[in-house]
Amino acid sequence: MSMVSTAPSRRRRVKIDPWRWVGRIFLLFLLTFTVLPMLWMVLTSIKSQFAAMQYPPQWWPAEPTLQNYAKLLDPNGSTGQEFLRYFWNSFYVSMVTTILGVIVAVPAAYAFSRFTFPGRTFLFFSVLLRNMFPSVVFLMPLFLLMRWMGLVNTHGSLILTYLTFGLPLSIWLLKGFFDNIPIQLEQAARIDGATRFQAFFFIVMPLSTPGIIATSIFSFIGAWNEYVYAYTFLSKQDSMTLPVGIQRFFTEFATDWPGLMAATFLMSVPVVVLFLVLQKYFVRALTEGAVKH
Amino acid sequence: MAQVVLKEIVKQYGSLYAVNNVSLTVEDGEFVALVGPSGCGKTTTLNLVAGLLPMTGGDVLIGDRNVTDLDPKDRDIAMVFQNYALYPNKTVYKNLAFPLQMRKLSKAEIDTKVMDAAKVLDIVHLLQRKPRELSGGQQQRVALGRALVRDPQVFLMDEPLSNLDAKLRVQMRTELKRFHQDLKATVIYVTHDQLEAVTMADKMAVMSGGFLQQYDSPKNVFEHPVNMFVASFVGSPAMSLIPLEAINTGGKIALSSSEGWQLPLSEANSKKAQTASTSKIVLGARHSTLQLHKSKESNSVPGRVYTVEPTGDVTFVQVFLGGATVIVSLDPSVDVKSDQEVWIEFDQERLHLFDGETEMALTDP
Amino acid sequence: MSIATEREIAARAKRPIRFGVLRQMVDRRSDYLYVLPALIVMMIVIAYPIYYTIELSFFNTPSNLQMKDKVFIGLDNYARILTSRSFREVTMNTFIWTVASTFFAFLLGLGAALSLHREFLGRGVLRAVLLIPYVVSAVAASYVWKWLYHSDFGVIGALAVQFGFTDRPINFIDNIHTVLPSLIVVNIWKEFSFAMIMLMAGLQTVPDQLLRAAQVDGANAWQRFWHVTFPHLKGVSMVTVLLLMVANFNAFIIPWIMTSGGPAGASDIWITQIYTIAFGRQRYGLASAYSVILFIVMMTLGYFYVRALTRGDDTRVK
Ligand SMILES: Nc1ncnc2c1ncn2[C@@H]1O[C@H](COP(=O)(O)OP(=O)(O)OP(=O)(O)O)[C@@H](O)[C@H]1O
Ligand SMILES: [Mg+2]
Repeated sequence: MSMVSTAPSRRRRVKIDPWRWVGRIFLLFLLTFTVLPMLWMVLTSIKSQFAAMQYPPQWWPAEPTLQNYAKLLDPNGSTGQEFLRYFWNSFYVSMVTTILGVIVAVPAAYAFSRFTFPGRTFLFFSVLLRNMFPSVVFLMPLFLLMRWMGLVNTHGSLILTYLTFGLPLSIWLLKGFFDNIPIQLEQAARIDGATRFQAFFFIVMPLSTPGIIATSIFSFIGAWNEYVYAYTFLSKQDSMTLPVGIQRFFTEFATDWPGLMAATFLMSVPVVVLFLVLQKYFVRALTEGAVKH
Repeated sequence: MAQVVLKEIVKQYGSLYAVNNVSLTVEDGEFVALVGPSGCGKTTTLNLVAGLLPMTGGDVLIGDRNVTDLDPKDRDIAMVFQNYALYPNKTVYKNLAFPLQMRKLSKAEIDTKVMDAAKVLDIVHLLQRKPRELSGGQQQRVALGRALVRDPQVFLMDEPLSNLDAKLRVQMRTELKRFHQDLKATVIYVTHDQLEAVTMADKMAVMSGGFLQQYDSPKNVFEHPVNMFVASFVGSPAMSLIPLEAINTGGKIALSSSEGWQLPLSEANSKKAQTASTSKIVLGARHSTLQLHKSKESNSVPGRVYTVEPTGDVTFVQVFLGGATVIVSLDPSVDVKSDQEVWIEFDQERLHLFDGETEMALTDP
Repeated sequence: MSIATEREIAARAKRPIRFGVLRQMVDRRSDYLYVLPALIVMMIVIAYPIYYTIELSFFNTPSNLQMKDKVFIGLDNYARILTSRSFREVTMNTFIWTVASTFFAFLLGLGAALSLHREFLGRGVLRAVLLIPYVVSAVAASYVWKWLYHSDFGVIGALAVQFGFTDRPINFIDNIHTVLPSLIVVNIWKEFSFAMIMLMAGLQTVPDQLLRAAQVDGANAWQRFWHVTFPHLKGVSMVTVLLLMVANFNAFIIPWIMTSGGPAGASDIWITQIYTIAFGRQRYGLASAYSVILFIVMMTLGYFYVRALTRGDDTRVK
């Protein structure tokens, strides 16, 4: 491309950078690697079960059909009812987790950013270290704890768990945002007659909205995609979230692959849309803290 | 407006005393400049007065109230910050209105007060802009406006002009002074630019290392510095200080240098010198009180020119003398060169003597 | 200044020294209020389970989960695990799984980041598309790849036949030799873009001036990368590798949904093994001991993670 864009009148030709071409070929390979599985998922989801189970496969569906989607989204059919139920459960759990997460993480992050109380560093790293612990370490005791609290098979068990496991990252992220807000702004507000809380609420909070958005996307996606705890804590069908639900649902008899692919597709839509719309915040959340500018 | 009293205030960070036992009284309507080198505790002192930091010890009184345990919002003060601290997400209007909203004034009242302040500061046309769309000088005005809308008892200002360019700074300096005169406001003004302090303040508080060194009118601080730190900090260029040895020459005192020359002191100065705790005495002289001769004269001591710095109206000459550097100001027409031998004459009436051990100024017994 | 020191001594003498830790905690008790909600939740859901896991690891627990009937057996659980034959196999699998996934994900991510660093048309879109696998749930990814690998109707097998690599569709995940590599590919597909995004952010911190200076000094593209870019990426790379390792170590969904550790334990890693012991065989004590071992390994990694994260702090110019 660099050759084309060089005006022919110019004498000196721009040297072709071989690394640039290596990079392009590599990106093409990665793109194929990334997209093909997703493409095949979509193609399969618009085939009938009969068309999907053929060898050699139909590369392109001979008779594309939206039958699988219609079935999943039909509120009157039994399949549709169940699927929509799971969908709603996932949405409910993720939403509540996200909102509660912000409410708890914001004051904590603010404290970590502003105050120098004894044990602050210790607290902070203990918060951070949680990232390292495998979920199975918590699975058994939490399962017993939830049983003891009577929370098994309730969404409360999931919300409480997700909330905690999302907190370290949320706090870490938000702290980064608060750190960037000059303390003088709060001081000014307090002199202008605001209490500490008002200074925080009227001045700091609005300025940290991007951070709160970033944190929220993260908790939402994390909760939406979570499988292990949902798989362990929920056994009643009508409380299941999507990741667990579709598994039980489509593998009960011989697997209905096109139906499963359609369900997988629908399950991915909310998070992918959320990600695409708020990509900037998501990327920032992902890299904050690890990369210092 | 009100009087402000600091009583032995102390602020400690770990083992560091950022402010150490500072006491001073700012009278009603006075403009006090708090000066000192970077890190000496100026901002900390101001923040303690404002109540933004918990105090380690001491009391702060504003008016007749002891405000030591009050929140900033209850102290009835306004503050202008070094970097202005304008709320970036609010328009200029909202920035000015915020302190009034916090005090639950009605919309109409807020509007009148904001417009009044905006008119005084000539920022009416900027009211709908966000802070980042303003120039430094405009931001500074808005910051001042935010302090002004409320008519508080005391204004605290933390280097409000330090972010401006030189020309704007001079202009704003005049405006601030004018504003103080019109309002008869009590102002505590932090700066490390002593020219600002000298030109604007009724009184000057010189700080160093957390301690208050001297608190007096700029004239007195300039003419009678209490110790070597103040002497060398106030005045530009700084006072020249020459460490010498006192010797008794039959009742009178002469100061002797390691280079061999002696400077006999006048009667009055001899008396002062005798109060010293040691024979080490530091001689201080401001550039304008020194006379430079190109040939030897009586009462003058020899030195060698180090550099010549013409500034336009005056030429500053640095002279090596008695193991120290002395700055002399000359008329630009006088022609001197580096490494030239010169003779310096001291004005006995206007020289300063400091105790070589305690660094305190020597005064009449 | 002697005048100062005298007063300083006076000030010290007059005022009680007030910086005992307890004193400070009392003075600043309101500050703790901000952290308290977070702290309480973390206590319940994190501190207690860790304690309980450690406790259970010394007990033989009944399969009906009536924990009052548990029997103290000291270190027996640990001994059983460490001497069992499957432990070595599972550890080997875990090692391969973690290291290979991390290595290739990092490598692909690095390549992608370097290729995407230069501005070109469609760069933003490409970055977004590459990130999609990272965003979708691992459950979705597992089902999709399970279908791609399907022994009869899988598209990968069919493509292999089409292009003449084999004459029969390949049985990827029912074969003890191919199952682990096949799962690793899925894992790489899922997470390489995480490395990419981290390294892209890291690349932005490489000062352009330095690269230009190197160019003026006559360094070629490779030398510029090796001497200027790469040293700047060290910190980010450390953190990225550690985060990937932790994630892979803890990865449960992909192996569990695709194979549940099979066939014949060929894709069993620590985490799936623990799950099976705990929830398949209901032997909490044994699984707890397993967890504690895992936990210790994680803490070691965690230590390096925190080190890598904070190392910059001291040198960072405010
Ligand atoms: N939060 C803090 N923790 C520890 N030490 C501090 C803190 N804030 C200030 N200090 C220290 O207290 C001393 C006084 O600081 P202060 O900000 O009052 O200086 P300043 O006179 O305003 O200086 P400048 O002219 O540079 O603004 C400095 O030595 C500073 O390092
Ligand atoms: Mg300051």
